[in-house]
Amino acid sequence: MITGDAYRESLGDGRAVWLEGRRVPDVTADPLLAKSVAWVASTYDRYEGVTNPMFRVPMTRDELRDQMDFLVGADRTATTTAGCFALTTLSPELRSLADEIVGRDARMAAAVDDTAKPVEAQARADGGVELSGGKQHVLGAAVVHELLVLAGDVACAVPVAAEGVRILAHSPAPRAGDDRHFPVSRSSTISEGLVVFDGVAVPAERVFRGADAFRDTLKLWERARAVAEQADRAELIMGLAQVISEMNGITAVPHVRDKLSAIAVYAKMCRAGWDAALGNAQEGPGGMVCPDDAYLCATKSYGSQLYSDMTHYLHDVAGGAVVTAPTIADLEHPVVGDQLRKYMRTMSEVQGEDRTRIFHVIRDLFADTFGGWDKVTNQVVDGGMHAQRMATLDAFDLEPARRRAREAAGIT
Amino acid sequence: MPMMTGEQYRASLRDGRRCYIDGELIEDPGEHPMLRTAVASVAGTYDRFYDPAPDAFHPMYTIPRSREDMDRRVKALGQSDITAGTTAACMALVDVAPELGKLRPEYRDRIYAFFDWCKDTDVRCSEAITDAKGHRRKRPLQQDDPDAYVRVVDRQSDGIVIRGAKLHITGAPLVHEQVVLPTKSMKPGEEDYAVACSVPTNAEGLHIVNTTNAPRGEDVRHFPISSRTNMPEGLLVFDDVFVPNERVFLDGETSHAASLAHALGLWERSNAVAYSGSSADRLVGLASLLAEMNGAADRTDIRDRLSELAIYATMCRAGWEAAMANAKTNEDGTLSPASLYVSASKFYNAELHGRMVDILHDIAGALLVEAPTMADHDSAEIGPDVREHLLGEGGWTAAERLKLLHYVRDLTADTYGGWIAVTESLAGGGQYAQRLVTLRHYDLASAKELARKAVGL
Repeated sequence: MITGDAYRESLGDGRAVWLEGRRVPDVTADPLLAKSVAWVASTYDRYEGVTNPMFRVPMTRDELRDQMDFLVGADRTATTTAGCFALTTLSPELRSLADEIVGRDARMAAAVDDTAKPVEAQARADGGVELSGGKQHVLGAAVVHELLVLAGDVACAVPVAAEGVRILAHSPAPRAGDDRHFPVSRSSTISEGLVVFDGVAVPAERVFRGADAFRDTLKLWERARAVAEQADRAELIMGLAQVISEMNGITAVPHVRDKLSAIAVYAKMCRAGWDAALGNAQEGPGGMVCPDDAYLCATKSYGSQLYSDMTHYLHDVAGGAVVTAPTIADLEHPVVGDQLRKYMRTMSEVQGEDRTRIFHVIRDLFADTFGGWDKVTNQVVDGGMHAQRMATLDAFDLEPARRRAREAAGIT
Repeated sequence: MPMMTGEQYRASLRDGRRCYIDGELIEDPGEHPMLRTAVASVAGTYDRFYDPAPDAFHPMYTIPRSREDMDRRVKALGQSDITAGTTAACMALVDVAPELGKLRPEYRDRIYAFFDWCKDTDVRCSEAITDAKGHRRKRPLQQDDPDAYVRVVDRQSDGIVIRGAKLHITGAPLVHEQVVLPTKSMKPGEEDYAVACSVPTNAEGLHIVNTTNAPRGEDVRHFPISSRTNMPEGLLVFDDVFVPNERVFLDGETSHAASLAHALGLWERSNAVAYSGSSADRLVGLASLLAEMNGAADRTDIRDRLSELAIYATMCRAGWEAAMANAKTNEDGTLSPASLYVSASKFYNAELHGRMVDILHDIAGALLVEAPTMADHDSAEIGPDVREHLLGEGGWTAAERLKLLHYVRDLTADTYGGWIAVTESLAGGGQYAQRLVTLRHYDLASAKELARKAVGL
């Protein structure tokens, strides 16, 4: 397993990346993309010398829980890579590719959603295919090594640096020169990409059949990650609301307790939904254990429906300093720094700088660029809130419910 | 005095004010990269309303006496930057002038003199209301730090000296006067905290530390709103600032501290409610366009969501209409919107705003926050890719799609959108305050009587 520095070096492979209209010759040196690179590199460093857990396909419920705990704590390319690895249980053909990926300790991203010009795979005489078209919302495209491209019933593994691949990257990372008042997004953002395939040649050994089943599994994996993260995020909202309420001295105020209790219910229900999905995990094709999809869909739908209400409550108990708190650089200013600490503190037990830092987290996650990106991308997983409700209905076991209704009404 | 031009306004900011941003002292707000567009927007308002006639003034200084006055004022503020709105709110001081005049006649005289001076010199004011507050459940004298609320620390024959801080002051570094008001009611014993006054922005001892919702980056075309209409928020530190008597509107009369806060609060909320209908209409329009762009306008679920938005927009507009239909006039003839409808509407708007934004996000999809920039679109190398891969349904070009997506992202899912979500909810008091004010003004006696009759009691 390679180090973070070796990972950085591996990205100097001639990949064709653009950001905001300019070519990025080195993604490790671009101010925005370098933040994604640093996050991925930190996961590499954590597992230097040992096999990264993302390469293990969970075969028991305990392994699934461990896997998900790891993925929620790791950079986002670990999830996309793990999702691609899960496909090996569907298709033995993918095994050799998987072995190669593990051998290189590489990262993969799934390219599933088409642009206005869908990717088409034209068969070539040598058994390979030629890809033309575009994919959008490809998480980590500019900072991974391989793209798993779904085109019709075909899946292809394409190196990011392959001839004809062009990536238009986007990043929700902070742009401030001094980004210390973006405590989360300065170190935990991943860029997305619109990927253009301009006659990309894929050799036969990297072309796989059965992409429809791959698509479902990749979606399930993405849904599972979103639901697991939603539970963590809900508990973070709870924690932030409680801490800032304590710092403001308002935890005993009835309307604040009302809001805190609403967030507590939300956090517990998000956690319950995820626990239920894990507790009812089932063995899928090839022996891989997958979270229960009915609970995943219902929990994702529930979390999305109430997310804005919860962030609204958080803003309300925190106050306007969410968007007006001074920066760390302000606190360090020789003329006004002491005054700012004086006025940001609320009582002897609360330091002004600590309270300011809490405001920074709330703004960064729930009222700024990264917060907007995070909210929208999680809300529209699986097609948005309406689609999530419909998926829940589809996944719901209706027959027992109908039977119960009939029995209650005395209908035989 | 004649009105100021935009250029004269810019020059007026170079008065030695001590303003900071990102840990640095600002030499000239008009030249600072994070403030210059805000200065330009205020200067633009000055130029737009400039009239060389010696007695001309901006409509924000019209004291509304009738519905027509109010409509003209709302229209003028809608064509102005936000500091015109804060200035107009400050002019609501005249609402309470008669009441304060009964307390001490010089207060009334000073308020009208200040109003006339602001109008004559064409200056801008901020609403400096929210104190640092310390522990929220403790009174000012119970705080660990006696400066948690702005207070008078010295009284001299010719004025007072104040100390403390005011937070979330919109446009603070770009206005000329900081109008300081008590954040809430005060009780006997808290006389030093019952203070209202106006302080020039360049006063000795005043430091203003700012944040801004302005976009960062050289190319800001993908921030179509915030690149034009951003505004800083200041944290004002009053480090023993002297205020001459003629600018002191309240000093020690605890019984009237709340009157001032309530008067401005009403106008602050009114400004929000007056434009909530058009803001909500814009959300309906944006959602409708997004649905068309994605070829989903005829889907039943989308029409269902659009109807939710339409009801929201209509109710927002109804709230302001009712507030004006039930407006009240004080003894000096100043017309004020009805508090009951203003507070109820403000609560309704803010409470449902997030859910309405959810609808836009749902219709837009992930491209909303991942769309290529206009620079990508215009690039000689990858522009053709963008134009091909982002071609929309129904004849929507990639450029049109990008413009729409960037507009909605900027408005609802980025720095400016976050600022809107927080400040629209908290300006003029948080949601709980709106509920309390609504209940206070609601005619419970009539409601109970109706109920009694209905039940037959």
